[in-house]
Amino acid sequence: MSWRDAASLAWSGVGRRFGRTVLTIFSVALAAALLTALLAVAGTARTRVLSQLTRGGPLAGIRVEAAAPNFAQLQSDDPTPGAPRPITNGAVAEIAALPEVEAVLPVVSVPEFVIPSISPTSGGRGPRPFADALVGVSVRDPEILPVSVVAGRLPSAGSLREVCVTEAYLNRLHIPTGQADRVVGTHLALGAPRVFPGLAFDQDRGLWIKPEIVGVVAQDAGTGAILGSVQLARRQLAFAQAGPDPGGSFAVPASQYSGLLVVAKGLNDIGPARQRIAAIGYSTSAPQQLIQSVLRYLHVVEIVLSGIGLIALLIAALGIAGAMLAAVRERRREIGVLKAIGARDRDVRRVFLVEAGIIGLIGGVVGTLAGVAMALMLGGAVNRYLTQQGLAGVRATVPLGLLLASVLGSTVLALVAGVAPAQRAARLPAREAVAEG
Amino acid sequence: MTNPTSDRPSATDAGVGGAAIRVRALSHAFRGPEGTVDVLRDLSLDVEAGDYVAITGSSGAGKSTLLSLLGGLDAPQTGTVEVGGTNLHGLRGDGLAAYRRATVGFVFQHFGLVETLSAQENVELAAALAGLGRAARRTEASRLLDAVGLSDRAGHRPAKLSGGERQRVAIARALVNAPRLVLADEPTGNLDEESAVGVIGLLERAHRRLGTTLVLVTHNRMLAARGSRRLRLVDGSLVQAA
Repeated sequence: MSWRDAASLAWSGVGRRFGRTVLTIFSVALAAALLTALLAVAGTARTRVLSQLTRGGPLAGIRVEAAAPNFAQLQSDDPTPGAPRPITNGAVAEIAALPEVEAVLPVVSVPEFVIPSISPTSGGRGPRPFADALVGVSVRDPEILPVSVVAGRLPSAGSLREVCVTEAYLNRLHIPTGQADRVVGTHLALGAPRVFPGLAFDQDRGLWIKPEIVGVVAQDAGTGAILGSVQLARRQLAFAQAGPDPGGSFAVPASQYSGLLVVAKGLNDIGPARQRIAAIGYSTSAPQQLIQSVLRYLHVVEIVLSGIGLIALLIAALGIAGAMLAAVRERRREIGVLKAIGARDRDVRRVFLVEAGIIGLIGGVVGTLAGVAMALMLGGAVNRYLTQQGLAGVRATVPLGLLLASVLGSTVLALVAGVAPAQRAARLPAREAVAEG
Repeated sequence: MTNPTSDRPSATDAGVGGAAIRVRALSHAFRGPEGTVDVLRDLSLDVEAGDYVAITGSSGAGKSTLLSLLGGLDAPQTGTVEVGGTNLHGLRGDGLAAYRRATVGFVFQHFGLVETLSAQENVELAAALAGLGRAARRTEASRLLDAVGLSDRAGHRPAKLSGGERQRVAIARALVNAPRLVLADEPTGNLDEESAVGVIGLLERAHRRLGTTLVLVTHNRMLAARGSRRLRLVDGSLVQAA
């Protein structure tokens, strides 16, 4: 009997005893749903936790400071930097050429006077200027920036008219994070300071711009309440650096770059990359040990959750085996007749195996879809809670590999569960065809 | 071969031809909780190719056991069974299955149809097991269902058929692979008189047209009288029936 014929016969067999078949499929579906949902939620939580650790940036991110390295603390995730040391274009090129480095993003930081255009929500006064900093980064590759968007969007690449603000800006205006949307679309005045030496006294001037706030972000690229394009920051910095900064009153940096964001090729490349950057002469920091520690714990959690799902599948497999053994008992005469009309042992075995596989496949597909729905619903509920708390939301994702593994795993497990009943059916003697009742 | 009445059927030369049966010193016992029960004792039987033999006996006499052994549903414990030149002694598993596919067509008292398949699919199933292609088995099954008068019921499942119709489907299935031996175990046991006559008539027509050897087990003496030979199973052995 061909596999196709066996499948036809098995398919017709699945329809018999409809209630029992439905219950068996349901048990497989429940187990597959549980496994899929648990692993999807675990995967989403893993992404979220790691994203929090890296502030939205890549796992293999390294921060390079415009300072000499502290060789006594090279192994530390966050060493105390040494003496200030400007980052030159040559140093940037040297770091970018390292074999462990995937990408280098310069960070430009420039002190600014900030005048918001909207008033604080409390305090009863109009907009109050304050001193802060504009952090300029290349927004062309947002996925490797340690920036996560809370409201709105990032500035367009190279834009001189758009900026984002951070929660520190919201705090100045006494605006809760949950109402971050209020500042999106408004403008603020930014003034880069510069000292113009005079005969009798120096004059302070500012290069004023009035960009639009297009988003609110949480960022870890640099210290500053304003985030903009690197082109905007460079223009402001060039103005500020053109004048003297007597006594460092405006804290105008001497370096072109306040730091670099370096992306290593992998987690295992972080250590070697940091050593090489230290050899070039700069201090680095990276949450490498923290991430590896967290990954180990997350892995344990995933193993435990997988184990729970697998136990559920195992219970479902026992159900399949039990249902099929009952089917073999009930169909003794039919099996005998099949053999009487010419079926071999392996033909009978094939039919029952395919029957088990069909139950596993249907249950796996239904359960996987249900698991995806459960994960998405759960992710939506968590997302609503997080945003209500003013935290960055979470988006549940279900990798295609997980879907395929769930369906395939259910089918394979059902086939394994069907082996013993199929073997018992195959071994039934043909004389059952003429046996009583 | 005896032929008591001139209008009783006899084997013809048309069709596939029958298989001769040679049984010598056949004994078979069953082990049960109360001990061993000898069902067949030193039984011998000769059936010529194309013959029509009716076997009667009381309930539990061993008629179905004898049919099982002739049909290769079970292996003989002692003695020899030779059907159509094939010695069944020593055949097991796939060997017996191959013998059944190539030589035997079964008709059971309980019909033996797969409840979840239609009449057409039940007949095609036997052809599929013999390795016939899809188109060929479909054609052959349709032809046979037409021959047994059920072409308009081909798509119906057994639950939608009467007892007589189910047995006709079973006969069509038994004949789809052109067997040389047809074994019918109480084929009319679950049928009313009218259906029983129709079913026996079908078997006899197939026996005449195809020339197959037909061995019919029945407790109905009137049906048994239609056979060209009538044997009775008594105390595990065959004797000529009165």
